[in-house]
Amino acid sequence: MTAAITANLPVFIIIAPLFVAFVLPTLAQRMRLVENLVISVEALMLFGACYLASIVLFQKGIPIIYQMGGWSAPWGIELKVGSLGAFFLLVIAIVSLPIALFARGNLTFEVGGKERRARFYVLYLLLVGALAGMALTNDLFNVYVLVEVATLSCCGLVSARNHPRAAKATFTYLILATLGSCLVMGGIGFIYIVTGHLNMGFASQELGRIWQNNPRVVWMAFSFMLVGFGVKSALFPLHVWLPDAHSVAPSPASAILSGLAVKGYLICLLKVLYNVFGHTLMQTYSVHKVLVLVGMVAIIAGSISALTQDDLKRRLAFSTVAQVGYIFLGFGLLNTKGLAGTLFYLASHAVIKSTLFLSAGAMLAVTGKKNIKDLSGIGRKMPVTTAAFTVSSLGLIGIPLFSGFVGKWHLLLGSFESDNILSVAVIIAGSVLCAAYLFPIIRIAYFESAPEKDWKDPNVPQKLALILLSIVIVVLGVVPGSLLELAGRAAAELLVLQ
Amino acid sequence: MLSLILALFSGAVGGLIVAMIPETNNRLRNYIVLFFASSSAFFTWRTAMKVFAGESVRIAGELGGLAFSLDPDPLGAVFGLIASTLWLFTAVYSFGYMVGKHKQRTFFTFFLISLTMTLGVAFSGNLVALYLFYELLTFATYPLVIHERSPEAMKAGSKYILYSLSGAGAILIAIVLTYAWSGKLDFSGGPMLVNSLRPGLNWLLGLFIGGFGVKAAIMPLHRWLPTAMVAPTPVSALLHAVAVVYSGVYGILRTVYSVFGHELIGQLGIRNILPWIAAITILAGIATATRQDVLKRRLAYQTISHLSYILLGAFTLKAWGLAGAIFHMISYSTLKITLFFCAGIISEMTGEIKVSKMGGIGWFLPKTMVAFSIATMGMIGMLPLNTFWGKYYLMKGSVESGKWPLALVLVISGIINAICFVPAIVNGFRGERTKTSGEKGGRVSLMLAPTLILVIIALFIGLMPGIVWPGVEAVVNWFY
Amino acid sequence: MSILIKKLIINYPYFAAFIIFSIGALTVLKRSNLFKKLIGINIMESAIFLMFVASGNIRGGAVPISNNNNPQSLYINPLPSALMLTGIVVSVSVTAFALALILRLYRSYGTTDLRRISEMGNEVAE
Repeated sequence: MTAAITANLPVFIIIAPLFVAFVLPTLAQRMRLVENLVISVEALMLFGACYLASIVLFQKGIPIIYQMGGWSAPWGIELKVGSLGAFFLLVIAIVSLPIALFARGNLTFEVGGKERRARFYVLYLLLVGALAGMALTNDLFNVYVLVEVATLSCCGLVSARNHPRAAKATFTYLILATLGSCLVMGGIGFIYIVTGHLNMGFASQELGRIWQNNPRVVWMAFSFMLVGFGVKSALFPLHVWLPDAHSVAPSPASAILSGLAVKGYLICLLKVLYNVFGHTLMQTYSVHKVLVLVGMVAIIAGSISALTQDDLKRRLAFSTVAQVGYIFLGFGLLNTKGLAGTLFYLASHAVIKSTLFLSAGAMLAVTGKKNIKDLSGIGRKMPVTTAAFTVSSLGLIGIPLFSGFVGKWHLLLGSFESDNILSVAVIIAGSVLCAAYLFPIIRIAYFESAPEKDWKDPNVPQKLALILLSIVIVVLGVVPGSLLELAGRAAAELLVLQ
Repeated sequence: MLSLILALFSGAVGGLIVAMIPETNNRLRNYIVLFFASSSAFFTWRTAMKVFAGESVRIAGELGGLAFSLDPDPLGAVFGLIASTLWLFTAVYSFGYMVGKHKQRTFFTFFLISLTMTLGVAFSGNLVALYLFYELLTFATYPLVIHERSPEAMKAGSKYILYSLSGAGAILIAIVLTYAWSGKLDFSGGPMLVNSLRPGLNWLLGLFIGGFGVKAAIMPLHRWLPTAMVAPTPVSALLHAVAVVYSGVYGILRTVYSVFGHELIGQLGIRNILPWIAAITILAGIATATRQDVLKRRLAYQTISHLSYILLGAFTLKAWGLAGAIFHMISYSTLKITLFFCAGIISEMTGEIKVSKMGGIGWFLPKTMVAFSIATMGMIGMLPLNTFWGKYYLMKGSVESGKWPLALVLVISGIINAICFVPAIVNGFRGERTKTSGEKGGRVSLMLAPTLILVIIALFIGLMPGIVWPGVEAVVNWFY
Repeated sequence: MSILIKKLIINYPYFAAFIIFSIGALTVLKRSNLFKKLIGINIMESAIFLMFVASGNIRGGAVPISNNNNPQSLYINPLPSALMLTGIVVSVSVTAFALALILRLYRSYGTTDLRRISEMGNEVAE
């Protein structure tokens, strides 16, 4: 029995949230049950992810391959739990559990009645399932399907609040995201035309042999993939949809959108770039230079745009644009340290940005104020929320003791290794700018006089979620241990290929 | 090892306890602050004595996947001693100064937490620990800078943060680069970059000095310091004349002696530029000070000037220069804090902050003005005071390094110091001698007592420099 | 030159897909009417479907049904067509979702023009 469960764990971890998602609408009247179900699925995922990660760590680089329906590789669909997959799965589980916990306390305010809340959870679980699929899949067309599932559930989450602005933001998001998916599908098409394979491993082998026959098609595939995933992961200047969508969404949704959904697309891009094209081909086409360049532009432009925002959630949303820049930059470094740093940075940003959005959401729910200036003295009234916000801000700026620093440190080492001094300067400048746009919020929260209002910390599940996430930020900053090791190994595996 | 931990964390623990005491219970709070400040000072003494005796006091671990260690060597011990001892004096002074001021709880909380951060900088055993505490010190002192909460104070705070974080960014790049080139981060075991002469080292040193130079207030990176004078006087005295600015100076000393090593810098082209940067800051700082009318601003520019004395000593790359730098670090801190204490007493007792309006103030506050005069003599570098010896060794080091004009710079700077403050003192004792004295009552004696004791200490060291010499010698022997 | 034209003629489905894709993309980006944007998306997707399906076609190939009379015959590749069924499903669901959103927007703003909706901004209540 246990052997069967273990053997089928990779697929189970994807199926479980999807399955539960479709059961939820039938239970809409029993909200307590729905919430418990969601939390237990998340907990199971966390458990499974930890288990898979430990196996992967223990096996030292031999991935677990799961063949769907028993069909073997070039014809069947594969799930591959390598270091990268286990790593991202772990990140998904760590982040999505507290968000679900937070949603439990906060959702009535954000989206309203039982029906709507149940639907929110449906979308939430669909998104989590799709992300888990992205982490594990080894098949290009599956990537497309999962990307689409994720996109549609993201759009649904953005529009969960019954407000015309939400509908407008969703529409823009939907159109641009679909444009992105079209490009991704086109890119997949080009790869398929050249190689005749959809399995990443086989496509990669084939591509390595025959890309010289159709250099232009490969070039097209590269550019379609870059632009397609660039739109989806809000790469500057393709980010236009993100600030509206992420600021108008209910806070738990903003958290998972900014924290995880964007990362899912980035992981897909990473897989396509390194597992399909491979780093030698990237160098041949100078894709890595493009990545570093667009990353640097995104860091600076995103940070400066964030500086000009007065709306708290919009500022955080623009900050995501900047942070995505770091990850693009890291993808282009083409060395183990840089790539490991990028992966760790991705994980740390997932946790940090979720915490930021959740605490901002809690503040918003209590005060009803969107503008940063109206939050004066909130640190005194809502100590836990503001403390979580502060911890995550320090993490995002990259102060030692917090997770962001570890990622940045390795990113810097990687930049030096690839002799890219300009990117070093940009990374540091991004940190300073990040301090410039987050620090005033902390200052206003703590050091300005509080109005005589009855603001209080939110209820227990929300507080618990914030505390959990803050602890994760600090723990990752002090003892990154196995997560950093997984990231390092994933980076090594990505670069060893070919 | 236990005393190291107790010395380091007394401040932070005390700060957290203070944060829980109600705003109105001043008496209890003061006792707790006194207890933790003295415990920190006591255990720092014990740690330092062990370090001077040649014992290794080392705590090593891992932080975020990076090596992290606390391992005070003589230089760190000297800095720790200066900081924790003066912290105790400033604590007593603050009890008097803060009477009737708002947000005392916040003030003392961060006052104590900053102690931990400063000692962390002093005790750090590798670059990661140094960077961590250096960065945290910025955040811990920020609430002290903006204590007044006036728009001016808020602006000064933002400026402080922006300057410090930019500096820290440069330091981070430099640290990563050092690690990438040498694979080492630890201070123990000789300079990290020794035997790795390669192009780019000039830039690396420039990056380090530019980064730490923000807090060490090297011109033109000094601009945050005068504006930060809106902080309460004990903060200006302790942090902006000693602890925070010394952490920058300490960082530069570390860079020169533990990261590069004086031999390596001796082979770099930048060695001919650095002393002159310090010299320019010395002269420009004190020259600007003469034009300031607000006393605290004048003192701030004097601080900028005197910090570069220490840097000058380090940049001569000679043993005597280093000795002078350490000596000046010790003696200057006692006197500068006195000057600020006096400025605080004057502004609290008379409400006067401008030098031009302080005529006849010496008759009203005689002891304060006497202390002020003696400290000023020290700033000029006159004999019965301890600063004389520091300056003497600095000149010796400059001449030894073959750059005799540097010695001249020091002399000229002494003269400008005199021009800057002597007229003010003379002005202070002008006019009719009044009978009334402002120095009565518990509050003013709380402020006066540490001031006078510090002056006496300074005189004592000046007359018997031998008592601090073992510390200076230990540092010099450590690096040469 | 003639080689290029020859290639274009041989690969005419791809050329057509490219043109259709450009039309769709332009429609999405240029038009401010919500419906037209949606139609543009659909046109774009059709172009990608066309490309995929064309990639499976082999000239002279037979329908890929196992036929004992003629075991050696050349079959076309059925996989892309099968994949595109999924693509079409996705496209339909996107369309349905977008239509629902348009309806919602029309009820609130009284228009289906994105530019005018943006101009109205936050004035419209729930």
